[in-house]
Amino acid sequence: MTDGRRPMAHEQDRGLSGRGSGAGRFRVVASGAAPLALVVVLVLYVSGPGSTMLEVGVPLPEVTIERVDFVGSEILATVRNTGPIPVSIAVADVNDRIHPAAVEPDAYLERYETAVVRIPFDWNVAEPYTIGITTDDGTRFEREVESAAPALRPSGEMAAFFAVIGTYVGVIPVLIGLLWLPFMRRMGRQVYVFFLAVTVGLLFFLALDSVEEAVDVSQENLAGSFNGLMLLATSVVVSFLGLFYAGERLSGSRGIGGGGRVREGDGRTGSGASPRLAGPVAIALMISIGIGLHNFGEGLAIGAAVGLGSVAFSSFLIVGFAIHNVTEGVAIAAPLSRERVAVWKLAGLGVLAGAPAIFGGWVGGFAYSPIASVVFLGVGAGAIFQVMVVLVRWIGRGDSPANGSNGSGASGGGSSGLSSAPFAAGIVVGMLIMYVTSILV
Amino acid sequence: MATGSPRAVILALAAASAIAVLSASAISDVYTEAQRPPQTFVTHTGAVITTTGEVLDPVYQISEVEFDPDEYLRNFEYGRISVDSETGQTVREYVIVAEDDLVQEIAPGVFYNVWTFNGTVPGPTIRATEGDLVRITFVNNGTKPHTMHFHGIHPAIMDGVFEPVGGGGGQFTYEFEAGPVGVHPYHCHIMPLEEHIIHGLYGVFIVDPKEGRAPADEMVMVLNGFDTDFDAENNFYAANTVPFYYQHHPIQIERDRLIRVYVVNMVEFDPINNFHLHGNLFYYYPTGTDRVASFYTDMITMSQTERGIMEFTYEHTGKFLFHAHKVEFSEKGWVGVFLVKDPGPGDGGGYNGDSSDGDAATGGSSGAAWEPAPDATGPAAAAAAYDGREAPDGA
Repeated sequence: MTDGRRPMAHEQDRGLSGRGSGAGRFRVVASGAAPLALVVVLVLYVSGPGSTMLEVGVPLPEVTIERVDFVGSEILATVRNTGPIPVSIAVADVNDRIHPAAVEPDAYLERYETAVVRIPFDWNVAEPYTIGITTDDGTRFEREVESAAPALRPSGEMAAFFAVIGTYVGVIPVLIGLLWLPFMRRMGRQVYVFFLAVTVGLLFFLALDSVEEAVDVSQENLAGSFNGLMLLATSVVVSFLGLFYAGERLSGSRGIGGGGRVREGDGRTGSGASPRLAGPVAIALMISIGIGLHNFGEGLAIGAAVGLGSVAFSSFLIVGFAIHNVTEGVAIAAPLSRERVAVWKLAGLGVLAGAPAIFGGWVGGFAYSPIASVVFLGVGAGAIFQVMVVLVRWIGRGDSPANGSNGSGASGGGSSGLSSAPFAAGIVVGMLIMYVTSILV
Repeated sequence: MATGSPRAVILALAAASAIAVLSASAISDVYTEAQRPPQTFVTHTGAVITTTGEVLDPVYQISEVEFDPDEYLRNFEYGRISVDSETGQTVREYVIVAEDDLVQEIAPGVFYNVWTFNGTVPGPTIRATEGDLVRITFVNNGTKPHTMHFHGIHPAIMDGVFEPVGGGGGQFTYEFEAGPVGVHPYHCHIMPLEEHIIHGLYGVFIVDPKEGRAPADEMVMVLNGFDTDFDAENNFYAANTVPFYYQHHPIQIERDRLIRVYVVNMVEFDPINNFHLHGNLFYYYPTGTDRVASFYTDMITMSQTERGIMEFTYEHTGKFLFHAHKVEFSEKGWVGVFLVKDPGPGDGGGYNGDSSDGDAATGGSSGAAWEPAPDATGPAAAAAAYDGREAPDGA
């Protein structure tokens, strides 16, 4: 209950400070802007025109070959200047053998500018190639492609292909997982907590999986100057806090002390829409969104892998992803096992979680960008962490329509809550399930 | 609930749009610049590109190079000639200036800090006759010590190893009698030796026999390479510095005329280099010291500073490649073309080899004036000479 008062106190504070006079407000603005102005002066002084202060050391050029496409009888390399100085591209090579090439729009690249180097080359399917770019100072940069595959061109056929893959990998498994709902309905309180904990375990694994994937992408495809790891960390935190805040607003409606509200609502289970929105359905919705974001990232990875020719996209891989993703349906179903939910709503949740894999496939296959991948994977991880927090708090409240009276204790307490055997066992089992199924991928 | 939801929606929208903008900018900043009208190019490999951008192919870009391989090819420096009144010895005087701060376009679009003798890589081709007194005033205008070390026979003090010449105007006079007959490299011999060589401090020293060699169309080819990113592997290879130069600017020679190539391998890092001639074989005189050819072949293999003289005559007109048959080197620039033309003006012979049948019919008939002077230059003679020296067939 003390929690519930804090926001009001904040509002009062804000009200007081906001009531200042015009002169006071100007002073506030000025005190905020002055340091900024000084920063501008500093930057101009150090690096502006005519400044020779920092001409120490030798800046080294750096270009990054962000992607390599194999098209017809050409190899296309997308090159970005990721160094501190402008560069000109002088030479292109394939497997360390110089080849004539065209560079579009031109060979001169400002910082972070990109160009496409087109090398006429009769490449062979499934052979590895190393594409090299030499800049005007003679430094050579290269990128290796494990296995050449024809670049994907946006076409109806390819779009349909990714739709089918996405459906197999995302939508159908999640819907199958949801079918465990009736089974979970028949279980008692302990088993219910167990399944919720399994969900937490699954989600934790998924989040770590997203982070690992994003780290891989940033290390393999992203130039150092983009600070891939920090981009990932920022995406995770922004996503987590953004969704957490929005989630609290959405479900609590009325402040962070939602715990009390939910319990009140539970007393009137089934009597109105608002408690349900605040309760299990809202949580299931959040889980769906989080998993959907994760699956979008997964779709990106699949699409990019196919597009970049770095994996043979086998049916085995699809089966692996499918089995792996069935568990995501369980994650959505678990919080609903004490609720009556319309079938179409359930299906909607499943599609919300699964269908992004299709869009991810399209984006990843047709317009792959390592930066976008890292951002999406980070956002997905942040979303899942947020859902985990909501779930853990949900379990901790001991909330259940069946034994609402159990929830009278403070959050985190009680044998059916966070310190219980079903909770610990559930998390372990959830992570183990994910680990075992991930081996299939 | 009524107060919370709109704000949540706005928040969610804001977050979504931020993500969308981020990712869209990441995805779409390719193809942002205004494009020029498309042009079609035929590259040196024969591949055709239609592009709105620029072409990375030396043939279209090399309008002016600081070092001109065409000029270097047939340029020989005989020095300022005088005769010693006492001994009657011919004296050839040279001034060679070393620098190490030049940046030159050693391949189209690629700029590299070259260390030079008289401003070029390779340095000038110094040519003397056996027994001449060669006097070289060496000036080091570089920042590091440099020397000139000649392969050949000379006093220890003239060896350019233990007498480093300081930078900033240091001087040393190298003086020795030209010999032995042949083709030799000269290079800087300051440690770290590899560094001084790969930056370009080398050149060719030719010692002619007193009786001279048969008249011929003579040329110098230094096989060299450049490690422009300092990873102990050459990025570019060439005959005479500029990659692919003679492919785009074929060396024009006449049918039935004796061609003499002084070839010196200065490639570092790679243990061997080689020279393969198309549509012909050549007589090869390793180091040029013997008047009798050791091989009649179309392929020689050379290690560091190995060199020799190649002599050949084309009996067909047309374009003929010459290149390293270590194909990696040729695909990094060590490749060129001889364009064999009919001798004399008004001779309607095409450059495409169509007239080869006619040439074959008359082949050799007009070559008398350009025969190699030494009598023993046929395959049999070569074999005999070989037997005589090393007796490989003696067993």
